[in-house]
Formats: sequence, structure tokens, C-alpha cells
Amino acid sequence: MELYKLDLYEASKGIKDRKFSAQELFESCRERIDSCEGKINAFITRTDNAEPITENPYGIFAGVPTVLKDNLCTNGIRTTAASRILGNWKPPYDATAWKYLREAGAVLMGKVNMDEFAMGNTCGNSAFGPTHNPNDISRIPGGSSGGSAAAVSAGYVPFSLGSDTGGSIRQPASYCGVYGMKPTYGMVSRYGLISYGSSLDQIGPFARTIRDIQLVMSVLAQYDPMDSSCFREKNPDFTHHEDASIKGKRIALVKEFQNFTLDAPIAEAMKKTQKVLEENGAIITEVSLPVVSKYAVACYYALAMSEAHTNLERYDGVRYGYTVNDAAGIKEMFERVRSYGFGSEVKSRIIAGTCLTEPSRCDEYYVAATKVRTLIAQEFIRAFGECDFILQPVTPSLPHKIGEEDEDAMKGYETDLYTLPVNLAGLPGLSFFTGYDDSTKLPVGLQLIGPRWSDSEILNAGMILERHLGSPKIADGGVK
Amino acid sequence: MKLSREEVNDIALESRLLLTEKELDGAVKYINNFLDILDSFKELDLTNVEPFSFAEALECPLREDKVKAFTNTQGIFNESEHVDGSYFKVPRIMED
Repeated sequence: MELYKLDLYEASKGIKDRKFSAQELFESCRERIDSCEGKINAFITRTDNAEPITENPYGIFAGVPTVLKDNLCTNGIRTTAASRILGNWKPPYDATAWKYLREAGAVLMGKVNMDEFAMGNTCGNSAFGPTHNPNDISRIPGGSSGGSAAAVSAGYVPFSLGSDTGGSIRQPASYCGVYGMKPTYGMVSRYGLISYGSSLDQIGPFARTIRDIQLVMSVLAQYDPMDSSCFREKNPDFTHHEDASIKGKRIALVKEFQNFTLDAPIAEAMKKTQKVLEENGAIITEVSLPVVSKYAVACYYALAMSEAHTNLERYDGVRYGYTVNDAAGIKEMFERVRSYGFGSEVKSRIIAGTCLTEPSRCDEYYVAATKVRTLIAQEFIRAFGECDFILQPVTPSLPHKIGEEDEDAMKGYETDLYTLPVNLAGLPGLSFFTGYDDSTKLPVGLQLIGPRWSDSEILNAGMILERHLGSPKIADGGVK
Repeated sequence: MKLSREEVNDIALESRLLLTEKELDGAVKYINNFLDILDSFKELDLTNVEPFSFAEALECPLREDKVKAFTNTQGIFNESEHVDGSYFKVPRIMED
């Protein structure tokens, strides 16, 4: 068996049991990347040209390779956020999430593609060209963490990290046929994550088994004094319990979502999953989320764009990234750097964010959105008084072909309705694999969400679903 | 509320962005569509609703106010073309 096909748990155990070396695993993964990367384009920067060096051969990862979304800072290694404006920036420090993985023995194979500054859901809005879905290279992998999902799906690495501001882990995980976890806001340190919408951003893992997601979460979920939103009094336990049960758990469907149209494979997956849950002793119930279903999309974009406009003010060409040397004054320098450096989607969001937060419009739009967010969070608290988890789609359809994006941007945004509310309320969400569509052979994913800090309980439920629905296979990556 | 091309261009300039004609056309459409959607907030009674915050922490999330040196200052300076000694040098700030 080729070593790249191993999952994280098996790979780590194999190295520790001396069945093979970390070097052999690394080389198998590198060969796999070499054979598929021309078709997939998941990488922005490869770092697999040197001998693998693990900081901790006895750690959880024991020399297992990984890749990081290119908005996670890596000391001395180019970090671009898929934008021209960061150029060849090499951060002078590591993101805490990467530091924790490194210290637990993970080895970096590279930095992977994303939508510029995490703004998008196709992984096509990148200064480094689009990433292709390893299950069908004519299709999008989803985004913004499309490179992280594609790398795990194609067997480049057993696990990776991405970030999720409005679905950017869960949607590409679903499109690529892997598991993706968006942790509770505050569960994982955001220090060293290039900011988009700071009150919404959260780092999380991709992997091909739930056990692997649990392993990565056990390392990521540590308090970090460098992120003031990071948890303190919580003591999360991500231990893998084979005997976990969902007996008696109330799993709700959202009443209002049932009027919305779903593609047939997703509607079928919903039915199949409900059956599995019931057969394992869960009780299927219903909750009502009227404000979420009607106002979450508008609320999310108002807040995300307002926060983005503030966060992206720092890109001015003075201290890092793309710059000009012949500007007559500082205003000209800023204008030339930002106008060339940012892509059009980012520019539109900055302008929208500036517009919403101007004193004359701030109360009407930005402040109103922060109040709508309160109503949304309260609605979820009420709903979780009546149920343990909510089961819902990740997206209403399977991934479209590259280049078939809807020209009306807001219509594209509405497909994010199932993912955005989770970030607004700071909830955890697991995107899980349910099987392959018979006609297109594409993977079909769904989502389980829970109250804040219920991450490990969601993963226990995910483990039962995996046992009955099956684990995803490594995609062919365009190589027959 | 609809914004004119001039208003959108003024906002872009405030954000230090110079738009091409095509980009400006796109931005006007984008923002006006977006503002139409945000007008839906008016259907809700938000009078006594507090703005959102993650106010569940049992303690104030402040760390001890203690200076800790960042050792890789050279790593910062290596990334800029506008370094002069231990300062960043920028073009003229005052306009004529």
C-alpha cells in the first residue's frame, strides 16, 4: 500500500511502531503531489524540497506531513493570503495554530490556495489561479479554504488547516468529500491568522476520518494568551471514544429551511442521514429559526465587509508586501499599492465596508446588523434549549463547473445561508461526508451544528455517522 | 437608498482605491444591490436590542500588563523596502 493513502492516525502509529519512517511517508506524499498538482493547483508555495524535520518524533503527529491555508503565518515562509498585495511576504513569526502542530511533530509540505483574503467560496478568486476539485477537475473545490480541502481529498496529506469566516472550511470539505470542522469561536487561537472578519474568523482542521479531526482538535484547542477571544475556563476533551452514543439525543431540522430547494443528491442525503440517526437512537425533531433564515445573509455580509474594510487598512506598502518606490507623496503610494494589489472582489468588499461604517450610514446599517446578530444568537440559544444538534445541508447544490459563477454576486452569497449563521452565533459546525452521488460520482456532505463549546459532542455524533455512512475515499485527482 | 457613481467613487478614494471605469461600474451595482438587501433590517424592531458581543467570559480577558520583547525585529525590517535604520521611511505626507 502506498503510504500517502494512510490517514493521520494510521500514519502516526506506523511511524511510532517503526513500520515505516517519517521520511518514507513524506516521500510518498511528495510523489503523490508531483503526480496530481499539475491538474489540481492546490499549492501556492511548496516547502517539500528539503528533508523533513520533525520537532517532536514522539508527539501526536510524529513527523506526519500537513499543509496550511496561506492566510496562516509561517515564520520565514512566504504567506500571501492569495493576494498580490502581500507579494513575497515572509512573516517574522508563526501563527499559534501552526506552532502547536509543529510542536506536536507535524511537518509542513507547503502553503495552499484560497480565495484572496478568504473572500469567496470557489477558490477561484486567487492571484495564483483557481484550484480544481480532485473528484472532478472541471469543478470548483469550494472556498475559501479550497486548497486545504483539495490537498486532503487528493491524498497529498492526511490533514490540513483552513479558516472559516462564513463557511470556508465546511463548504470546501463538503465539495471535496472530506471532514471539516469549524470550531466554536474562541476554541482555537487566531493569533497569526491574517484577519478578514475578526469576530467571525476561526481556524479548523480537514481530514479523511473523524478520529483524525479529533486528533488535530486535541492539539489546536489550547488557550493562547496572544488571542483575547481564546477560551480560558473551558477544558475540551477530544479523546476518541469508540463507545460514544447518540441515544436519546434530539437532532433538529430547521422548519424554515424545509421550504428551500435542494438538489436531489443533497435532499436524499438528508433523508439517509436522518434514518441513520434514528436507527442509532436519536430523536429527529424540528426547531424554528425565522430571523436566521430571513436576515442572516444580509447581517453576515454587513458585518464581514465592515470588519474587512478595517482589517485591510493595514496594507499600504510601507512595512511589507507589494510596494512602489517612486510615489510623490504618501497618498499616491497608498492608492497605487492598494489599487494594484487587491483583486476586484476584495476592492468591492472594502468599498462596501467603508460605505456601511461611515458616520452618516453607520446606525442604519452597521449598528443595525450588530443588533440583528444578537437576535440570531438568541434564536440559536432558544433552539438549543429544544434540541442537542441541528442537521442541515452545507450548500443547496453540488459544486459547479469552474467558470460558471453567477454574475450577480449577491445571488452567489445566498448559497451560503446554511453556513453563515454558525459564524454569526460563534457555534461549532462539522461538515461530514455522507456518500457519493450515483450520477455525478461527486461527494455529498451535510452539516451538524451544536451549541457553543459542544465541539467534542458533535464529533462523537460524527463518528457514529461515519461508521454507518462510510469514510471518504482518496479522490483520483485527475490522474486515472 | 441608491448611491451614484460619484458617491461610490468618493468612498473608493476614502479607502485609497483608484478604480477603473469597469471596476467602478461593478462597484456601483454591487453596493446598490447590497444596500437594497440591508434595507430588510427595517422590518425588524431593534429598539431594545443590544449590539452583539461574546459576553460569556467569566473573567475579563486581559493578560498581565507586562513587557515581553519581540526578538525577531530584523525579520520585520527584512520585509520592507522602506527601512532607514530602525525606522520605516515614507514619502512626503503633507500635500501642496
